[in-house]
Amino acid sequence: MRGRVLVIGAVVASLLLVGAYLAAGGSSYEPEQVQNPCKPRPWSNPQTLGQIANQFTISALDGAACKLGVSREALARALATPEGRKRFAEKYGIDDEKLAKAIRAGLLRAVDDAEEAGALSPILAVPLRATLRDIPLEEAIELIQNAKSLLGNVEGFLGPAESIIEQFLP
Amino acid sequence: MPRPRVAALALAVGVVLADSSIVVLALPDIYRELDTSVSGVTWVLVSFNLVMALAAVPAALLARRVGPGRAAAVGLAIFAGAGLACGLSDELSTLILARCVQALGGAAAVTAALELLPATVGSERRAATVWAAAGATGAALGPALGGILTELVSWQSIFLLQVPVALIAAVPILAVAKHEAATGVIEPELRRTGRPHIWANLALAMVSAAIAAALFLLVLLLIEGWRLSPIAAAIVVSVMPLSALVGAKLAEYVADARSRAAAGAILVSGGLAALAFLPKATIALTIPPQILVGIGLSLVLSALTETALGGRAPQAIHGGWTISARHAGVVIGLLALTPIFTADIDQQRHDAINAGTAVILDSPVNPLLKLDLAEKVSERLEEEKGKVPTIGPAFEPLPDNSAERAEVEQLKGELQDQLDRGATHAFSTSFILAALLGLIALFPIALSKEVEL
Repeated sequence: MRGRVLVIGAVVASLLLVGAYLAAGGSSYEPEQVQNPCKPRPWSNPQTLGQIANQFTISALDGAACKLGVSREALARALATPEGRKRFAEKYGIDDEKLAKAIRAGLLRAVDDAEEAGALSPILAVPLRATLRDIPLEEAIELIQNAKSLLGNVEGFLGPAESIIEQFLP
Repeated sequence: MPRPRVAALALAVGVVLADSSIVVLALPDIYRELDTSVSGVTWVLVSFNLVMALAAVPAALLARRVGPGRAAAVGLAIFAGAGLACGLSDELSTLILARCVQALGGAAAVTAALELLPATVGSERRAATVWAAAGATGAALGPALGGILTELVSWQSIFLLQVPVALIAAVPILAVAKHEAATGVIEPELRRTGRPHIWANLALAMVSAAIAAALFLLVLLLIEGWRLSPIAAAIVVSVMPLSALVGAKLAEYVADARSRAAAGAILVSGGLAALAFLPKATIALTIPPQILVGIGLSLVLSALTETALGGRAPQAIHGGWTISARHAGVVIGLLALTPIFTADIDQQRHDAINAGTAVILDSPVNPLLKLDLAEKVSERLEEEKGKVPTIGPAFEPLPDNSAERAEVEQLKGELQDQLDRGATHAFSTSFILAALLGLIALFPIALSKEVEL
């Protein structure tokens, strides 16, 4: 009799504990999914120049990653340091020329996204596109080699036109 | 009844069986210091248990041929010598070799102790109880002692401390060995050895596999996943041996060994399943599952050992079979689960690097900071070889601007939470498989009808 009570008690205690943990979300963990960079990533209504620059960076990374067939996260890590870029080149078999072309394509997509989101006036978008298309390959590589200056340039790129851009901000 | 001899025999059994689990908390330190892999360091544990599993029955036979006193004394001397070699090892291969020799000596000492105990305590049943209790105490206290020694001194000190302990245990046994040498007392009744209890030993192997996995995985989760120090992890896993005391008390009220074994196996499996579904990476949430595992292991191990030894002679041989079954179970548990959780940890590390970068990129933090942070965080994750790091240093120095600093602080919290949950999740599959092993043990337990006490 006592043996049966012990076994039933063990079953009940086990089921209660496992059930409580499941009810508290014990099986709900899913690792953060890496999104497809080729899918459009909607802009979240940026209000300031800093927010526009932020979205611009994300769009540029998405566009370049899509062009290269890698994740946005892998490309971001590659751009951070020369060592990261070297590891990235070895892993994916992507040379600097291909990378520079992809970054240019990414910047163009960022301009498109900014324009579509109403964050950038078409009056500014047209000359921006023309400038980006004409960036020489060597310059693009230089920008890629120094990720901070690349992003600095993205913000700086908009910076000189700040007074004009702000007139067109939503 | 010579009390020093009982204490010495119990100490010998305790120190040898503690050795099967004492290095669990030292494994992360050995792993880093000897610059090996997770699979490689597992062999520090596997080698000892494998040799114990293979040598226990032959050692028991040998003890009956040469005399248990001599076998125990020589076994303890070998155990101590090999322990010294373990403590002085600076390479994984020599450490594993020394562990194998240690297990040979240990197998001789433990099985001979069961042969010596009846004459010392008065009855075979009492001897079996003392022997099983000493072994369970050693195995339960092992991880905590190992963790404390690793943090306060070093992993080497675990083995070096075993040398004087084993030699102290050998001193009172030497008198028996001398008496045997003088009188030539040798047990000749080898042919009357009965068959081992197949179902009880099979269940012991399965339950031991589940328990070893519970201990090993929980320690790795606490130290490698949640970044606890060995001493803090030792305190956390002490819940299991403390709960085992409750289980031992509970066992006194239930005479039926099969019910105790079944309840114990269910509790071990329930605790393991709960560890697989931890809702948060919080130490407090590991306590209830550990209580179930602790009570369960005490119930099931004692019940199955009693069943395996009950009415069977000679005790040393059948004790050897139980030692063999338990250690074979530990080996199976570790070898079956190690590749699964190492693959899961690798996958988790890969996911964590991507998740970390994604969280940083999607944050409102200044773009100039983003790539720098993404690179620092992924570098820390890469450097730690699968250990989930405290990512705080990657965020230093914090920005001067207060709004930006708040954004970075929030990002740090989100990221650490992601990494901790990821690390916890990496162990889930292994905990579930270990729980299944415990449940499968219910089949041989159900078939072990013949309980002779």
